[in-house]
Amino acid sequence: MEFSHFLQINLASLPYFIPELMLVATLLALIIIDLVMKKPSSSGWLAVVALAGVLITLITVVNQYNLDSRSLFNGMLVLDHFSLFFKVLFLLAASLAILFSMASIELAGRPVGEYFTLLIALVLGMFLMAASTNLIMIYISIELVSISSFVLAAYIKRATRSSEAGLKYAIYGAFSSGLMLYGFSLLYGLTGTLDLYQLANLLSDAVAQNPLVVFLAVLFILAGFGYKIAAVPFHFWAPDVYEGAPTPMTAFFSVGPKAAGFALLIRFFVSGMSQPSLVESTVWQAIGNVNWPQLLAVISAATMTLGNLIALVQNNVKRLLAYSSIAHAGYALMGTVVLTQEGYFATLFYLVAYYLMNMGAFLVVIVFQDLIGSEKIDDYRGLGYRAPLPAVAMGLFLFSLTGLPPTVGFIGKFYLFAALIKAGEQYYWLAVVGVLNSVVSLYYYVKIMKYMFLDRPSEEKATALPVAFGMNIMLIVLMVPILLFGLYWAPLQEFTRNSIQFFTGVF
Amino acid sequence: MLLHFAAPFIFVIVAAAFIALNLLISRLLQPRVPSAGKNTTYECGEIPIGSSWVQFNIRFYVITLIFVIFDVEIVFLVPWAVVFKDLGWFAFVEVVIFVFILLVGLAYAWRKGDLEWDKPETGKFARDAAPQLFEEVGTERQQTVQEVTL
Repeated sequence: MEFSHFLQINLASLPYFIPELMLVATLLALIIIDLVMKKPSSSGWLAVVALAGVLITLITVVNQYNLDSRSLFNGMLVLDHFSLFFKVLFLLAASLAILFSMASIELAGRPVGEYFTLLIALVLGMFLMAASTNLIMIYISIELVSISSFVLAAYIKRATRSSEAGLKYAIYGAFSSGLMLYGFSLLYGLTGTLDLYQLANLLSDAVAQNPLVVFLAVLFILAGFGYKIAAVPFHFWAPDVYEGAPTPMTAFFSVGPKAAGFALLIRFFVSGMSQPSLVESTVWQAIGNVNWPQLLAVISAATMTLGNLIALVQNNVKRLLAYSSIAHAGYALMGTVVLTQEGYFATLFYLVAYYLMNMGAFLVVIVFQDLIGSEKIDDYRGLGYRAPLPAVAMGLFLFSLTGLPPTVGFIGKFYLFAALIKAGEQYYWLAVVGVLNSVVSLYYYVKIMKYMFLDRPSEEKATALPVAFGMNIMLIVLMVPILLFGLYWAPLQEFTRNSIQFFTGVF
Repeated sequence: MLLHFAAPFIFVIVAAAFIALNLLISRLLQPRVPSAGKNTTYECGEIPIGSSWVQFNIRFYVITLIFVIFDVEIVFLVPWAVVFKDLGWFAFVEVVIFVFILLVGLAYAWRKGDLEWDKPETGKFARDAAPQLFEEVGTERQQTVQEVTL
């Protein structure tokens, strides 16, 4: 063993690891500030420090865009445009989550030191998820994200449903990562490597010998990834966790870890389970005859159908949005089925759109929760008259979630369906299922609108609600890009398209 | 391909049969002299005190969690110490940073009062708070002593 050689590589990797180091520094700073300062006065400072840390990290990430793709830390992580895209998305989601947490009264008066520390740790985990190319590293990064999220979901200590959320999250998480590890161990047993790129080289032999075992391994591994993106049949935790967690965290869970799960899923299947097609450079092929694209297609169809159908009968807005977020995982999965650059681009684009509209919808839920103390659809009656701006914003976010023009949600769905149709006849059925599901989803999204605008508020509740100034600003800030990218999406499209650049390995 | 599984399958069967056979033989051969003393809980040869169904104080749980900090520390420090000569100063700095992070965690737990050993507030001694409990334990112990000596 030549230690100094490994050491040299690790040392040389450090300059490309600055964003992650920034996050660690922020995390330590938060703990130390929480230690040193007096409790009640420090909560505002903690949020400011967390936000500053996230923004500085964002700058360092953007600075990495002009670097070439490379492998870091002896093949554990990679730095490529694909991972950078997701890192930017995570940081934007985290900064919104911090702002939501500050503005919401749900966390007021609680100690927030650990809250922000855990949030930063979660972001660090997602960074590693988007960049890892080694099976063990994948597992560790998933666990870092999961354990932080368990605690954050249960953060409101005395509330039963918050504790329930944390516990359910933990149990499902432990189970699915156990399954995933088993899948990894099967792959390791078959190929003798943990590295994704070596795996891709060795897989065809393994498939030739044991096709069934490889398929089984992929199935098990999908349990772990499916849990993170809340795909059917690994979705059971989502509604309870989304309902019970503090709402700013719900908003973050529905976007951050889900996007990280997609990053991991795409990276794993592109780098580890498929090879570039010899005919065209923008198309990949599954190695061997393991038909996991078909498997993904079935999961995608089941996810969106089940999510949408159960969302129809929900009467709690947080639960409804939880099921809707399950359905959206199904839509985004459509892009990963076809194994084309077009498809991956569509998924990434959709994740950005989803980030904007879902964060927005949850922000409106936070606003109403603070004002009327409820998240039942029944209590939303007449809110369009009592609080016009949040209600109109909710309308926009919901229309975007449905996929109606001129919103960014429409563009996202358009690209997804286009990718499916372009890929050929075999996935037409999935596109049809997707379109039908969009129609179904219109019903429950519009139901919220009906309660807010078509029902008059009862007499004693007819007063106007005082929406906080900061909330109004945030709503407008989220509404603008949804409309803007709905009409002029070229910059976003170009940015996303440039992000489909995978590190192709050194072996 | 199915035949590959034959070897492990036979292994499982032989292993199970081995255990079952040994249990059966010892059952056939063993002399049986039951007594009360044999049914008492084994406490390293001491005469057991009270029931073994004791609920451990929840305070131990927090201590266990904090112990994890040092546990993880050792897991990383031992391999580092073994190859310290080859790794040199860079690894030393790395470990110092690592230990520093763990120390911050410990300081945090300390500051937040997780190392405090909360004492029960009722009376100076627990015996004052629940004398009848101690009497029960006392009589139980005497009974056990009698049974064992019989």
